[in-house]
Amino acid sequence: MTTYKTGTRIAFGLVGMLLVPTLAFAAATTTPAGASKAAAKMTAAKARADQEIDRRVATLNEVTDRVGVMQEVQADFKQNLAGAVSGQVAAFAALKAKIDAETDPTLLKSEVQSINESYRVYALLVPQARIATAADRVVTLTRMMTILGSKLQARIAAAQTAGTDISALSKTLGDLSQKLSDANAQAQSAVSVSVSLVPDEGDKVKMAANAAALKTAHTAVGVAQKDLKDSRKDIATILKGLNVSLSAASSTPTITPGSATASTTTAH
Amino acid sequence: MPAVLKWVLVLVVLVGVGWLLWWSGWFKSASYSASTQGNAAGAVAATTTQAASAAPAPLNGMSVASDSSDPAIGQDTAAVDAQMQALDADGSQVTASLNDKPVAQSY
Repeated sequence: MTTYKTGTRIAFGLVGMLLVPTLAFAAATTTPAGASKAAAKMTAAKARADQEIDRRVATLNEVTDRVGVMQEVQADFKQNLAGAVSGQVAAFAALKAKIDAETDPTLLKSEVQSINESYRVYALLVPQARIATAADRVVTLTRMMTILGSKLQARIAAAQTAGTDISALSKTLGDLSQKLSDANAQAQSAVSVSVSLVPDEGDKVKMAANAAALKTAHTAVGVAQKDLKDSRKDIATILKGLNVSLSAASSTPTITPGSATASTTTAH
Repeated sequence: MPAVLKWVLVLVVLVGVGWLLWWSGWFKSASYSASTQGNAAGAVAATTTQAASAAPAPLNGMSVASDSSDPAIGQDTAAVDAQMQALDADGSQVTASLNDKPVAQSY
């Protein structure tokens, strides 16, 4: 058995006395450090969740503004669309408040997962609304260009009376009419297709059908846009043929998306 | 004949005449005529209102539909161009919405 001198024993005793509180302190700080790490993890998860929710709400608010100034759609369609968007905004606001106030890690995990699940609805609603608003503007433009086309027709008739050969201008006017008609039909088609969307709820068949419908509607909007650009070229050709002075065009109005002056779209 | 009996007879005759008129539809015609006049006035008012609202209001910065002068056509063209620019933005938003990706969530 090892024996120590009295001084040595005292020294061990002092070291022991010093170590005990140190070890005790170390043991005491293990739990707060773990808790702090868990808290940091929750904070990070909440930040990511807030970021995604804020992003979606910002987009939905833009959509709401744009839907509000749609000019051509039927009132009930517009009301239903606006209601669906505002419902999503309210749901996200409630979810965000719940997540921000959450203190239970298990519940927080579930709530964060619900953001991913809610994306399926969001990912259908926003394109549907965007397609509807774009189609609405297409129809507005066809109305505007039809009015302008009537004026050009009157000017062409006057030119004919004055002895001008209007055969080329009449042909271009006919093309303008056809393009406007097709643009209107494409807009109608886009909206009709987009309203057929249904929440997939994880059903892959429905997901595929929705994706195909959105693609079809997107294509229709694109075709309508091209029709209108071609129509605008026809108008320019006729204006040139009639030697119309466009001095007023220098004061081209600007349109702010979502403003009352920005407008238009589709009847169904 | 007592005076009272005379008044009773007059009253009976008046009631009888009134009933005959009602039965023959004269009162109905009179009341229909009055209500028709009221409706006609309403119809005129409604027509006036419709006529006022039917006047083609300039659409999105366009000029009056009946004006085909150079300045009016210039104004219309400018209004169309503004909407065309906005349509480009709408088309881009449709594309962006279809390509949207969520911020990854994990916990």
